[in-house]
Amino acid sequence: MSGDAILEIRDLKVSFRVRRAGRKYQVQAVDGASLSLAEGEVLGIVGESGCGKTTVGRSIVGLVQPDSGAISFRGGEMIGAGGTKLREMRLNVRMVFQDPYASLNPRRTIGDAVAEAGDINGFFKSRAERSAAISATLTAVGLDPSFAARYPYELSGGQRQRVGIARAILPTPSIVIADEPVSALDVSVQAQVLNLMMDLREELRLSMLFISHDLGVIGQISSRVAVMYMGRIVEQAATRAVLDQPLHPYTRALVAAIPKPDPTKRILGAIETGEPPSLFKRPPGCAYAARCPLASDRCLVDVPQLRPAGTDGRAVACHNV
Amino acid sequence: MLSVHDLTVSIGPETAPLDIVAGVSFDIAKGEILGLVGESGCGKSMTSLAVMGLLPQPGPRVRAGRVLLEGSDVTQLQPWQRVEAGHGRMAMIFQEPMTSLNPVRRIGDQIAEAVKVHDGTSGAAALLRARELLELVRMPDPAMQLSAYPHQLSGGQRQRVMIAIALACRPQVLIADEPTTALDVTIQVQILGLLRELCNRLDMAILFITHDMGVIAQLADRVAVMYAGRIVETAPVEALFDRPRHHYTRGLMDCMPSRNSGARRLPTISGQPPAPGTVGAGCVFASRCAGVREPCRVASPPRTGVANGHEVLCAFPLNGGVAS
Ligand SMILES: Nc1ncnc2c1ncn2[C@@H]1O[C@H](COP(=O)(O)OP(=O)(O)OP(=O)(O)O)[C@@H](O)[C@H]1O
Ligand SMILES: Nc1ncnc2c1ncn2[C@@H]1O[C@H](COP(=O)(O)OP(=O)(O)OP(=O)(O)O)[C@@H](O)[C@H]1O
Ligand code: SF4
Ligand SMILES: [Mg+2]
Ligand SMILES: [Mg+2]
Repeated sequence: MSGDAILEIRDLKVSFRVRRAGRKYQVQAVDGASLSLAEGEVLGIVGESGCGKTTVGRSIVGLVQPDSGAISFRGGEMIGAGGTKLREMRLNVRMVFQDPYASLNPRRTIGDAVAEAGDINGFFKSRAERSAAISATLTAVGLDPSFAARYPYELSGGQRQRVGIARAILPTPSIVIADEPVSALDVSVQAQVLNLMMDLREELRLSMLFISHDLGVIGQISSRVAVMYMGRIVEQAATRAVLDQPLHPYTRALVAAIPKPDPTKRILGAIETGEPPSLFKRPPGCAYAARCPLASDRCLVDVPQLRPAGTDGRAVACHNV
Repeated sequence: MLSVHDLTVSIGPETAPLDIVAGVSFDIAKGEILGLVGESGCGKSMTSLAVMGLLPQPGPRVRAGRVLLEGSDVTQLQPWQRVEAGHGRMAMIFQEPMTSLNPVRRIGDQIAEAVKVHDGTSGAAALLRARELLELVRMPDPAMQLSAYPHQLSGGQRQRVMIAIALACRPQVLIADEPTTALDVTIQVQILGLLRELCNRLDMAILFITHDMGVIAQLADRVAVMYAGRIVETAPVEALFDRPRHHYTRGLMDCMPSRNSGARRLPTISGQPPAPGTVGAGCVFASRCAGVREPCRVASPPRTGVANGHEVLCAFPLNGGVAS
């Protein structure tokens, strides 16, 4: 697998320093995550809110500085790279941001926002070429080209989300890191955008990291998924296998909590998912131990490492499965 | 509790208004959760902002219709005027947390501010209540995170701050605009459970906007389906899932990834919704409808009751079940 990996992340650690009540604390947002993305592959990432998914994505595109670890793109190290190498990677690895509104400048038109990467890098030889590229990209994400003249506040949430995707794909990147790209979309547009991403993947041989909390969506677009919990990967497997037979206790809770589109099968109040973990006091053993129905003494002291479980490259980080 | 009649929200000049919400009516009783679903851009957020009296200025305006809160007309009242008139206990959870949180203020102060407006408490008491609210929405380290700035939180954590602010006024009417889209399902199920519990315990009326049919099925008592600024179907939740009557609702159900696992391509509803202003005579869904017939293109369809509490805006409603 690592032979034809386009992106390889090894033992990534990222922390943030914050002040709380006059004291300094360190939040360990990513705590030794390793991933590898094959050429043309879509790898899904799921995990609890706050477990570090966005931070992994932002580290890859150079928006946060990791403490340690390695991120290599086509064999070249990305952490600390500069000059033309950095520029080339920036155009090749593009991120679709989770909060589309916050990442759009309210005073610039949609067209300007979509063309930004092209403008900065001198892609367009003429105004006509520029507007053709904007129109084509907007159309590709299912927006009418007339949106180019509009401002972000005139758009609905879902329309802004599609603008976010358009911005990412304009320079025809080889990797897209999509952070919850369809969560704000209604199901029919969601289906259109997922189909679009599958098409782009085929046409451009795009590789993708697809961050989502919706395992149904991940099941649709990616054959492999990594499950994160408190900054670490706790399970990695074929998406089908995870949905049919989750192994890690956190993954099991995740699968059980998927809201079924059937009002006669209600789960609200019927499932107990436990308290979310503290970011400031990381437990010494397994981070999931306090909530885990399978926890044993060993789990309180030993950090479980990701180890192979069965076939198909499946791996799980748990002492008791 | 909350009653909306024929609400019409328009943009553009007075002489040639474009309706982005066109004649929307619904009621929500105490202790009831109405789910509102519909295509992106169909007017869900505009409807809720109009109901709250929070439409952005200048821009969209309420051109017609009434919003009644416990029988009193509050349509033209600003939120502060509603508070003065004793109708203040309405709150909204906004769709995009970053636009409604102040980026340079600590979240504890922002929640305490909301507590102060409604309870009159301030200082340490308000902060204590802020902390309780963060616990309620399952924020990890609630006491410590009171002094966090919005950018130091993850997407889902920010969303929970928004929910805490909305709950600060102990609302009687709560409008939640996609409040759980950024949350993983284990936290989502807790938040939905919390809203259901508060709704029952405090007799709240909740308008819950989402595009997630799974969430609707789990939470809503009744559902309104919106398309191009109009409510095209309303029904009790079981009836809607069992027998959707509008062709658009049926299309939505067919698009759900969970109904299509393993499919090479997801079914979509082909075509685009009409832009405001391009709606002519006839049914707004006609150009995309799988069951369209000649009369649909000529006259707008009637609103028909098809069963108890089940209404559909369609001349030729479906009557079968959903293939699954
Ligand atoms: N700039 C920052 N300063 C301090 N803490 C931060 C900062 N950015 C993120 N964090 C913390 O790091 C952790 C990981 O955040 P991240 O945004 O990566 O989570 P996530 O997995 O994307 O969550 P979500 O699903 O809610 O978006 C969170 O607990 C968050 O509070
Ligand atoms: N300030 C504005 N000026 C002009 N048009 C606007 C403005 N705000 C929204 N619109 C338009 O009004 C329509 C309804 O928008 P609204 O935000 O209510 O959609 P929505 O149903 O909430 O969609 P989503 O699910 O994507 O959030 C959209 O077509 C949008 O482009
Ligand atoms: S009235 Fe006609 S076009 Fe409209 S939904 Fe019904 S069948 Fe379709
Ligand atoms: Mg995130
Ligand atoms: Mg909206």
